[in-house]
Amino acid sequence: MTALVTLPILLPLVGAALSILFGRSRRVQRTIALSTLTAVLGMAVALLVEVDRHGPVSVQAGGWPAPVGITLIADRFSAIMLVVASVMLLSVLVYAIGQPGAERNHVGFQSIYLVLAAGVAAAFLTGDLFNLFVSIEMMLTASYVLITLGGRLEQVRSGMTYIVISLLASVLFVAMLAFVYASTGTVNMADLAGKVGDLPPGLRSALAVLMLVVFGIKAAIFPLFFWLPDSYPTAPSPVTAIFAGLLTKVGVYAIIRTQTLLFPADSRPTTLLLVLAGATMLVGVLGAIAQGDVKRILSFQIVSHIGYMIMGLGLFTVGGLAAAVLYTVHHIVAKTGLFLSGGLIEHAGGSSRLTRLGGMVRTAPVLAVLFLVPALSLIGLPPFSGFVAKFALVDAASERSSYGVMAVALVVSLLTMYSLMKIWISVFWSPATEPAPAGAAGRDRAAEPLGGPLLMVAPTVVLAALTVAIGLAAGPLYDLSLRAAADLLEPSAYLEVVRG
Amino acid sequence: MTVLLAATAAGLFGIGTYLVLQRKLSRIIIGIALLSHGANVLMVGSGRRGRAPIVGSGDAESLADPLPQALALTSIVISFGVTALLLALAYRSWLLTSDDEVQDDLEDERIAHRGAPDDDLAGSDELAEIEGDPTGEEVEP
Amino acid sequence: MIVLLLAHLVAGLGLVAVGGRAGRRAVLVGALAPAATLAWLALQAGRVLDGEVVSESLAWVPELGLDVDLRLDGFAALFVALVSGIGVLVFLYAGRYLRAGGEGQGRLLGLLVLFSGSMLGLVLADDLVVLFGFWELTSLTSFLLIGNDHTSARARTAALQALLVTGAGGLAMLGGFVLIGQATGGGTYRLSEVLASPPGGTPVTVGLVLVLVGAFTKSAQYPFHSWLPGAMVAPTPVSAYLHSATMVKAGVYLIGRFAPAFTGVWVWRPLVVGVGLVTMLCAGLRALRQHDLKLILAYGTISQLGFMVVMFGLGTAETVVDACELVLAHALFKAALFMVVGIVDRQAGSRDIRLLRRPGPGWGPTLAVLLVSAGSMAGFPLLFGFVAKEDAFAGLEPGSFAYAGLVLAPIVAASMLTVAYSLRLVWGVLGRDGDGLDTTAARTAAPPATSPSTTAPAGSGPAPAPRASFLAPAAVLAGLTLLFGAVPALIDGVISAAGESLTAAAEPVHLAVWHGWNLPLLLSALVLGGGAVLFMARRAVDRVLALGHHLPSGGQGYLAVLRTLNVVADRTTAVVQTGSLPVYAGVILTTAALLTTGALVLGDGWPGWPTLVGSAGHVAVCVALLVTAGAAAAVRRRFSAALLLGATGYAMAGLFVVQGGADLALTQVAIETLTTVLFVLVLRRLPDRFERRSGPAVRFVRLVAALSVAVMVFTVALTAGGNRVAEPVSSEMVERSLPDAGGRNVVNVILVDFRGLDTMSEITVLAAAAIGSVALARAGRRPRSSGAPERVPPPAPEGRRLERLVVIDVAVRLVFSAVIVGSIYLLFVGHNQPGGGFVGGIVAGAAVALRYVAGGIDDVRNLSRAHAWTVLGAGLLLAALTVLAPVVLGAAPLESTVLETDLPLLGHLKVTTALPFDVGVYLVVLGLLLMVFESFGDDPHLVTTPVDADEVEGPAESRPEAPVEVRAS
Repeated sequence: MTALVTLPILLPLVGAALSILFGRSRRVQRTIALSTLTAVLGMAVALLVEVDRHGPVSVQAGGWPAPVGITLIADRFSAIMLVVASVMLLSVLVYAIGQPGAERNHVGFQSIYLVLAAGVAAAFLTGDLFNLFVSIEMMLTASYVLITLGGRLEQVRSGMTYIVISLLASVLFVAMLAFVYASTGTVNMADLAGKVGDLPPGLRSALAVLMLVVFGIKAAIFPLFFWLPDSYPTAPSPVTAIFAGLLTKVGVYAIIRTQTLLFPADSRPTTLLLVLAGATMLVGVLGAIAQGDVKRILSFQIVSHIGYMIMGLGLFTVGGLAAAVLYTVHHIVAKTGLFLSGGLIEHAGGSSRLTRLGGMVRTAPVLAVLFLVPALSLIGLPPFSGFVAKFALVDAASERSSYGVMAVALVVSLLTMYSLMKIWISVFWSPATEPAPAGAAGRDRAAEPLGGPLLMVAPTVVLAALTVAIGLAAGPLYDLSLRAAADLLEPSAYLEVVRG
Repeated sequence: MTVLLAATAAGLFGIGTYLVLQRKLSRIIIGIALLSHGANVLMVGSGRRGRAPIVGSGDAESLADPLPQALALTSIVISFGVTALLLALAYRSWLLTSDDEVQDDLEDERIAHRGAPDDDLAGSDELAEIEGDPTGEEVEP
Repeated sequence: MIVLLLAHLVAGLGLVAVGGRAGRRAVLVGALAPAATLAWLALQAGRVLDGEVVSESLAWVPELGLDVDLRLDGFAALFVALVSGIGVLVFLYAGRYLRAGGEGQGRLLGLLVLFSGSMLGLVLADDLVVLFGFWELTSLTSFLLIGNDHTSARARTAALQALLVTGAGGLAMLGGFVLIGQATGGGTYRLSEVLASPPGGTPVTVGLVLVLVGAFTKSAQYPFHSWLPGAMVAPTPVSAYLHSATMVKAGVYLIGRFAPAFTGVWVWRPLVVGVGLVTMLCAGLRALRQHDLKLILAYGTISQLGFMVVMFGLGTAETVVDACELVLAHALFKAALFMVVGIVDRQAGSRDIRLLRRPGPGWGPTLAVLLVSAGSMAGFPLLFGFVAKEDAFAGLEPGSFAYAGLVLAPIVAASMLTVAYSLRLVWGVLGRDGDGLDTTAARTAAPPATSPSTTAPAGSGPAPAPRASFLAPAAVLAGLTLLFGAVPALIDGVISAAGESLTAAAEPVHLAVWHGWNLPLLLSALVLGGGAVLFMARRAVDRVLALGHHLPSGGQGYLAVLRTLNVVADRTTAVVQTGSLPVYAGVILTTAALLTTGALVLGDGWPGWPTLVGSAGHVAVCVALLVTAGAAAAVRRRFSAALLLGATGYAMAGLFVVQGGADLALTQVAIETLTTVLFVLVLRRLPDRFERRSGPAVRFVRLVAALSVAVMVFTVALTAGGNRVAEPVSSEMVERSLPDAGGRNVVNVILVDFRGLDTMSEITVLAAAAIGSVALARAGRRPRSSGAPERVPPPAPEGRRLERLVVIDVAVRLVFSAVIVGSIYLLFVGHNQPGGGFVGGIVAGAAVALRYVAGGIDDVRNLSRAHAWTVLGAGLLLAALTVLAPVVLGAAPLESTVLETDLPLLGHLKVTTALPFDVGVYLVVLGLLLMVFESFGDDPHLVTTPVDADEVEGPAESRPEAPVEVRAS
């Protein structure tokens, strides 16, 4: 069991080190990365099964007991996230290998990508607040490198925004840790769960809010999301895809984890969360409507859909949290899929601007399907994954009779539909109104009947199929989410495992 | 945590914030450096002060709290690494634009000024036709 | 039933995939699924007519009360018959209508099958949420069908409008369903259960309104109607199927289901009946002004839907049954009429009644079908429409319920309009209108909504008559109209079953043509007469109606909404997403500050003021800190700023010392030195001064933000510091450091042992940062190997090199080796005294810096060039393996064992397996520094222009050293 909890972090690290050493041969690097991530995926699944059967699994790094050593722990929630994350990491890696272009050929790409994987895994598996900080830093540094890899002008510009904002978040994080340690004398989450309760209410809620802000910046919730739509679209599409799928979700994970585990019910910023959720949904989708570029529309939608997850948390009911978990899973899959197909569109059309694309339903019918399926899922049409997740959210909201946020959720999904159909109509139906940049467009279609290289199309297909599968298998998945949510609201098992 | 330390940290945070809100990347970097100094002051200040935590000499009570030091050390190193990266970015920016100015996002500005490119997706003229309400003039007098 | 749905799914997807190649055969494939459904229905007919219920269920998400419950009762059966029966006919019709192998026809047919399946699911669903699902699927398929001819801007627009309007309604409906479902005890979404015991309360009332909105949008009721005329751009088979016979009846279906249960709720009747009546009248009037045959039919459909909405909405046992008749009658004649119009369109090449000429010989059968169906629409005796309308009038007879008269009057009026536009339609097809009017205006007017291939150009002689197979489907429908019109008793059973499945109150009905002399008969006569008059006086009427043209239409409303939406979106985005980093940073930091301070202030917990200062030393360093920091912020020269920042760093080190952190201070000093060096390396390229001093307003804002952050830090820090609730865990670390972890230097033990994982991640960060900065610095450069020419050095350094070789070199190399040894020493003793891998690595890096200063980047490269990556990778690998090894052996990661050794030069040493880990740290740090020098160490004069020169204005060689000169002079 210890292996299952630790290896998802350590294997990618070893892999990263190796692929730095084997910098000379891309082939070797790819083999390393692929095999590592496949292994991680396998272990993640095993871990999920184990955790779901026998409850949380934890390891004390260095064998030192809980508060002294660092705790690595997996409960249902983290295991679920880990599984989804590793699926994304693997499929996007394949996509990246398939994509022609300079970035993925850079000496650093594979190793940095593995560092990212390690960071994400560590963030999901750690049970220690400071280690969470370090893990997120690991993930972020990798993302800094990936987003600026290639050093084009717009990358540098957006890279500055992205890195500076993330650094501010990190500084606030350290300050928050200092406050936590100053008042409780520990940074182990399970240990904190007991001690935070003794703090005076003012300090408690201050800490809760500060944590919300710190992770909220990473999760891109209103009003902390501005950096995202500016930075994501400039990265190469595989990078954007993996960012869209995982990075913000790590933030969401951290928010859900800390707010549920550390703070007693009375100091949870429930109303604040719901308000922020509503604002995030609305502002995000309005931004999406205002955009004229596929990648930017999709990026703004990330923001808007983060709102749904926060909403699920803000309800603080088992139903709400379960919906949030399910929604997160669904969104990771659908969104990554969308960005992958967006990349394919860019590949086939030579641009990602709506005005430069057109008529692709005829020229690239496969892409049309590959876009439509995750799009419909994101909108929340049956039988795709989004439908169940969204309905679960709305149902939970109405159950708690918080009708305001419920109404927002419904309206926003209509607006989401509008913004996505805008893409559909301009890219696949109507003819292009501007000529595509010379040379970029006009790939010979005979060579690529699928609309792109096989290695790019295949992962996209897999993810599209996955959204359908999640939708069809929603029953058991939702039950799992319910169990995970129950653990989150009643973390006694979690605490026992850590305290031993 | 003495008042002095809190004040120092607050001061560093204030100055850092002031610098971060500027456009020159090198200033922003300095600002961030000051901010993380502030954070480290908080971190170190969050534990008991005393002799350097090296056991074996004297009683454990008089030792400074080692954990915050370790944590601070880690965060210092991390911010060093990222600062190096940020400097590389400034360098690259200079290569491309001969300045380290942080420009605004072009697309955002475009949208702020002109709005989305295809607001006419609604297609008013087509719709009027479709509505199929012939205008009054066609009526024979 | 599920099998049937799946069959539709498979057939549909199959056709979408390959249908284009299948040609005419595709049509038959498409007809299979609906035909199968019909057969199945026939098998079930007996039971259903006896009032039994055929149900089937498939668990989907039980926890959410979300299961695929399908339920076939009388009412559903009626609709299934329509959906599948007309479906089959439409496919046969499409076979003749569509040109074989035209672009996107496989798609069209496939989508039709998919739609048919969704519609089937909609009427069979017994779970509200599943019903919603199918509901949205019909909207989606309709969207794709309308826009199937994607080259036409009009089609795209119409498709989007249809999708948005019906989609919005659908979501409103979902909201309503959830509200109602939650109101039922135990939150069931089972339709039959909800209707059996209807819940009450405000949420339910709101929910009902929302559900009705959904129904209205789908059934194109005012004010949501305008998408339906737009949808007429779709090929005629689509219009006949979706937009007259089936999909638009979904709303009616829903109202029919809900009415008996909820007609008691105060909001129900006024809303439903009111909207229905308005729709009937307005649409009827609009129909009288259309020149496009399809549009006449479209508005006719809207009006008739309004009729059904009223009848169902009243919810009395009688009206509900009458409404069922109307549904059937309308489906029969309207689908037939659309098919006829399609035929005319195909054969004559136009649908504009001003262009159509008298049909030539051979058109007899077609005209017969037309007359029968139109007559049925107008309510002509001996046709089924007449029977239905008669019963409707009977159901509305004054006294049958409150205010029945108020409902009856407008319906009679609207029926007159129906007669009038029916006549208009017939006249148009007969081409009588074409002769009467001056057609030049119309010829120049907009072409008909679709431009099918014309077998004969408009107006040139009589159009060729259609082939029998083209007419057959319509003929079948017309035949049924005749049959049921003459012998309505045939369908007593169907109608009764439908009525009874809606409300228990409904008695078995006996349809008949002749009810004796009574009010309904009178009204029918009145209606026919009035309609005829209206038509005769159409010129005058038209002039009157022309005035109404200027009233705002639903379409304009939709446009307005969409426009506003876009504007709002742009405005908000323009405000929120300024794209300016300072703004973002400001908002984020201020938010953090205000929220946190606010939360702190709202709750109590102020511990009171702690001790003011720790020691005199503190005062000194803190003052130094703040002063240098302030100076760094104030100066306007990059170099001075960098140096002052360095000073701040050393002040920090001082603070660490007085606080008791030896390692910390050591690290801080090392790092600060390096940072400063890096800064200088980069800054030498940047302009010397910060230009662009910002205005006072901006500075004030900055100041406010800075203050709020400072206040937050100050208050929270004191509150947190003053509320220590537990003994820190570090005390245990201090106790166990020496005995259990074999190290005296607790900080180092924590770093490499207790919290080794942190350090692992930390060095990973360093490695990543190193790779990133090299990548950035090298980005767009020619690769070193091929970039040989650029290494031609300028003459001056040449001389410098020569003389360096003689004197300095030896010294430098001596010092270098000494420092390296020292660094290794630090590495080894780190566990017990200040030092450790990190500091050691940095000292080694300092040695490298020395080589750099003396010999420039070449010297460093000779030292390391190929090895930088290797050192980095090796370090990372070593550390990672040290963490990993114990796991492989089944222990916890990083679990260490103490072992004692005698090392030369270092003497007896007690080493733990944490040592290799520390060595890894050492190597990573060294590698980082090597790579950093690699990336920034270049002589600025050797900077080559990036390959992508277009991104750079002017050659890189002419980079501004200018300010330096200015300063020098």
